[in-house]
Amino acid sequence: MRYRLDLVLSPSEGALTRVIGMVERRGFTPHSIVGSPAVDDGHWRLQLVVDGVRPPETLRLQMLKLYDCVSVEINEVDVAEMEVMS
Amino acid sequence: MNATAALAGACNGARWLTQALEAEGVDVLFGYPGGTIMPFYDALVDSKLKHILVRHEQGAALAANGYARASGRVGVCVATSGPGASNLVTGIADAMLDSVPMVCITGQVATHLMGTDAFQELDVFGLTLPIVKHSYIVRSVGDLPRVVRDAFRIAREGRPGPVLIDLPKDVQVADAAHLPAHVPASVDPLPSPPQAALAEALAAIAGAEKPVIYGGGGIGLANAVEAFRSFVDNTGIPTVLTLRGLGALPGGHPHYLGMLGMHGTRAANMAVQESDLLIVVGARFDDRATGKLAEFAPFARVIHLDADAYEISKLRTANIALPGDVGDGLRALSGARSTCDGWRQRCRMLNDKFGFRYDAPGTDIYAPALLKRMTELAPDDAIVACDVGQHQMWVAQHCRFSHPRNHLTSGALGTMGFGLPAAMGAQFACPERTVLLVSGDGSFMMNVQELVTIARCRLPVKIVLLDNSSLGMVRQWQELFFAKRYSEIDLSDNPDFAALAQVFGIPARRIDLRSEVEGALAELLARPGPALLHVAIDIKANVWPLVPPNTANGTMLDRNPDEVEPEAHPMAHEASPRLESTHALPA
Repeated sequence: MRYRLDLVLSPSEGALTRVIGMVERRGFTPHSIVGSPAVDDGHWRLQLVVDGVRPPETLRLQMLKLYDCVSVEINEVDVAEMEVMS
Repeated sequence: MNATAALAGACNGARWLTQALEAEGVDVLFGYPGGTIMPFYDALVDSKLKHILVRHEQGAALAANGYARASGRVGVCVATSGPGASNLVTGIADAMLDSVPMVCITGQVATHLMGTDAFQELDVFGLTLPIVKHSYIVRSVGDLPRVVRDAFRIAREGRPGPVLIDLPKDVQVADAAHLPAHVPASVDPLPSPPQAALAEALAAIAGAEKPVIYGGGGIGLANAVEAFRSFVDNTGIPTVLTLRGLGALPGGHPHYLGMLGMHGTRAANMAVQESDLLIVVGARFDDRATGKLAEFAPFARVIHLDADAYEISKLRTANIALPGDVGDGLRALSGARSTCDGWRQRCRMLNDKFGFRYDAPGTDIYAPALLKRMTELAPDDAIVACDVGQHQMWVAQHCRFSHPRNHLTSGALGTMGFGLPAAMGAQFACPERTVLLVSGDGSFMMNVQELVTIARCRLPVKIVLLDNSSLGMVRQWQELFFAKRYSEIDLSDNPDFAALAQVFGIPARRIDLRSEVEGALAELLARPGPALLHVAIDIKANVWPLVPPNTANGTMLDRNPDEVEPEAHPMAHEASPRLESTHALPA
């Protein structure tokens, strides 16, 4: 299964490493990553597409335990559609 | 002004930090000095903080860990950069996996040298990312107030854990005269579990015919022991505990069936396997507790109450999820009505039928009987620390604990070498109480250097060293699951442990016979200072009962069968048909 994580991070040292490390440690594989600083509130916006067979809700809750993670949304991605678009 | 006077008078980052630690209520910290942390050690000279100089940084981290476990307060350890910092890692990981509140301070090379492979430069921030609750590199002295405030708050709040502060040397010596005095942050209580789910749980308990309460380490961590005991007493539901939950009910409690899991009691495992409702309180379905997960409590619905929402439905789906404050949840459930008299009687029968026996034949010292007697002779509020291996399981099975904080065991990480420094930390946290360490001959040597710290501080820690001249748990597994192909478990060239302790200035004696146990334990407990009792036990003694790995908890060994399938065999996940299955017992 493929999932898209829409994350809002505080711009702290180690935030990116923590997020990606958590994804891999909890059994998911990063597929692609796009990120940029937000102009309005100083936070970072990060979109992470990951593959995995474990329940995404457990990953969402684990992400929320990271103090650098302000919010996270996880949605399933249609793999076939994504490959056609690329 | 000479240089010394200048140092003593300057309010730099290091001095500000010692004052902040005092304001946080830190009384003792454990550490070891070195190059990049020297400004902090200089500031300690003028501080009220009591610093305990250990002999290895792992000892510092584990002593702070033991201090925190015994007291519930934040444990603090300090090390220099490089090897000092990396030596802390095991103690930090142990705290992370067992949810122990700690703040770990490491020196770092000056900021302009970071990233240049400078002498004793190590990226301890990166090294510890997976094993901390949170971490900081303080790159500017102006960040210190926010970092220290947040570090202690984070270590304490919710599910506790360790926080690392990496402190470059130039930040320690930077002018801090302009910084405000430190004010500790308050910790917001967790919300109560949702009302609708609580109502659902009350109904589920009322409707259950075979309910079991499965309590874990989260009870003690949430300071919810009294609420838990009231819940058990009011509902009368049979109760099992995990390794880290031991002490949440006193031994001998009428509804207590013992520890569940790999080395749990038959009564506990059988009750859980037969139950139709599991009320899980501050536990996380660890594999050592559940055995083969797919066959764990196969008939049970699950109510799961936990401070950490992530743990709910991680391994076993909860039918009723109760994330939030464990004490609040238990109080809300204490009015539950449970009418399961027949089930209670069945559980009591199991408990009576399968209780531990202490009448082992022979004259060798029988470790379970010795440990049982040890806690009978010790004060009720004695703290028992242990290491990891067979003796750890014997402690869990045969010692009594009046509170979870009185049992210091490395549950999740299983850190050999944990016991001696943890006992040391606990004795600093609770100087008036009896602290016992039960160790094994393998684990003891892993942090044996801390004997000198115990001797130096005249800490009255009482050490019972169970010596089977081998790595007993590994030997037991090789005997049972690796066709008796013994590999690297022989410790028959151990030192004379009594003589070793005496070299450190600690009185010690050795016993070999069962007839010596009573007198030796009484002598050990009566001594005013530290003392060690070296106990020779049979190398062939195993820990029973045992649920073989990857097997359902209903299948328990209580002796060595002639043949058990090797663990490495592809069919190892299937229980051997020769093992006794308790499912077959009549109800």
